[in-house]
Amino acid sequence: MGVKGLWWKVAGVIIFIFVLIGGLCVPLRPGVTSSQPANAKNGDTLFMNVIGYNTHFSTAQNHRAWLKLDSIHAIAAKDFFGKNENEAVITFYLPKDLPTSAKVRPLTLIVDNELDGAFVQPNALFLTIEDNPTHSSSSWTQADLTNLSVASGLKFPYRNILNETIRNTFFHVALWFAMFILLIAGLYHAIMYLRTGDYDHDIQSASFNRIAILYGVLGLLTGSVWAKFTWNTFWTTDVKLNMTAIAMLIYLAYLVLRGSSADHDRRAKLAASYTIFAFIALIPLVFVIPRMTDSLHPGNGGNPALGGEDLDHTLRLFFYPSIIALSLLGTWMASLLIRYERLKEKIFLKS
Amino acid sequence: MNIINIKDIFIKEFSVEFRQKFAFFGIFLFAATVVFLIYKSFNNINPREWTILIWIIMLFAGLNAVVKSFLQEKKETYLYYYTLFDPIDLIVAKLVYNFVFLCSLFLIILGILSVFSGFPVKDFSLFFSGSALGIFGISVVFTFVSVISSADGGNGTLMSILALPLVLPIVLLLLKISQVSVRLLVDTSVVEDVWLLAGVDCILLGAMLLLFPALWRS
Amino acid sequence: MNNLLKIKKFVATIIIMMANIDLVSGQNYPSDFLRSTGKIYSVALVIAIIFIGIVFFLFRLDNKLTKLENHIKNEQ
Repeated sequence: MGVKGLWWKVAGVIIFIFVLIGGLCVPLRPGVTSSQPANAKNGDTLFMNVIGYNTHFSTAQNHRAWLKLDSIHAIAAKDFFGKNENEAVITFYLPKDLPTSAKVRPLTLIVDNELDGAFVQPNALFLTIEDNPTHSSSSWTQADLTNLSVASGLKFPYRNILNETIRNTFFHVALWFAMFILLIAGLYHAIMYLRTGDYDHDIQSASFNRIAILYGVLGLLTGSVWAKFTWNTFWTTDVKLNMTAIAMLIYLAYLVLRGSSADHDRRAKLAASYTIFAFIALIPLVFVIPRMTDSLHPGNGGNPALGGEDLDHTLRLFFYPSIIALSLLGTWMASLLIRYERLKEKIFLKS
Repeated sequence: MNIINIKDIFIKEFSVEFRQKFAFFGIFLFAATVVFLIYKSFNNINPREWTILIWIIMLFAGLNAVVKSFLQEKKETYLYYYTLFDPIDLIVAKLVYNFVFLCSLFLIILGILSVFSGFPVKDFSLFFSGSALGIFGISVVFTFVSVISSADGGNGTLMSILALPLVLPIVLLLLKISQVSVRLLVDTSVVEDVWLLAGVDCILLGAMLLLFPALWRS
Repeated sequence: MNNLLKIKKFVATIIIMMANIDLVSGQNYPSDFLRSTGKIYSVALVIAIIFIGIVFFLFRLDNKLTKLENHIKNEQ
């Protein structure tokens, strides 16, 4: 193995180490883990106990907080007391009059200081309206919700249930993407085998598919570990999860097919056709059907996980390299398998 | 592609199947026994179970029937076909035969199930169009897999192993469509599901027509 | 044969480890070890699983190569 064949393997390892170090060391942005109480009546004086994550409630100086009703209506906190870095009591005087006539309204908590920047807890408080308040918005429009601070430095977004597990994006999600790249490599060699009849393409196709199946199984395992810590169950009814499980079944049947026949040529031909068929069956499974139904997965069904703008630049900075690294490592593993199979072929042809 | 050839093979398949009456009645008996067994164990089948049952029975009865019909073919017969017909003609004829066969099987199972537990379908056009598309997809997969298994030396077990995971997505879509058609679910996007099913059918059909000639040469 | 035994032991250890994790995580829901400090240890677990997967691949390849080597030895 000369330097020529070595560089992409080294690149894969280096990029993977970069993802490991960066993905584990970059801190999360501050956020609100929980707040008490969850309910209040209009006219109350509210002492809100807020537990934060990665916050600087006692070292920061200029604390501000708001309860927001909608885009124009909000009230500012009267007092902010930081017990320690991650615990604070915020005092609000809830006005008697309200701009709307609904019975129960969810309010969003916004906390801001110069070290942490501004962060949000949606539906932090449910405001119950008792007696008949006068409809006026005067006390709700005086909050000065401007000049929010922006925290500096490279940080990953904070999501309430996910917490630190947002880092699994680089390992679990990237694993799926790498699996697809390997499957496409397997598909390419299957097509090439059918076109040229060169047995070497069959070896390559089989090896890429095998590593892709390994990645798929690892993806299911890591996914269920992640699910255990976010939704407290190993297996959910989530569409994407179940569809991928079916996809894995289809590819496991591929392994059965490869093991079933002793005749090389016939096996190669069958396996190549089945690879193409299976890949086609995979497309609606993984891309079309899950998109049509709600899913626990990021970006689906109003899930507060990772949708839309949340796969932000900081995550992308490690997510894309992770895909590249895992694909390169997978290609390396596949190439080991390929070389083994070629050797075996040579030795058994001799004897 | 030659329509007359396709028709000839189709008629031949049909006459071979119905010459052996016991085989046909065997499938009928299989469906009736399973439906009766399930009816006796549930006593009362509600619409949700009804939709699940009809597709599970359909899946396994169909698999049984297709495996059996292709195991009857001998290697020599294939060689004989090879000298006579274009591969596309052969596979299309087999596909049409399987489709007609599975459709009639579906109607039989539907009949038996309806006798025991009523007919809860409210939206007929949705149910039958969805079922027809689904059965078409299932017959494409079964035909393709039976060709693979016959090329691999006529192994019936291999066929069920390969066919079941491949039809799973189709059956899942079918279940959803039939659950909407018995008004278990209200889903405005069900038309999309029907289109998706049609799309999957087309892709599978295209892949089969492309791949079969290459396989056939062996 | 020896290798097979090793693998069996290895798999058994992993299963026992997983079972223990489940035991721990089943109790007092939000504050156990794997959920502490913002569930960071579940990320570690995910990375460990990927590592175990790669090691599993290495084990398999090792076995295959040993067989091939033995075959060559017997030929000579």
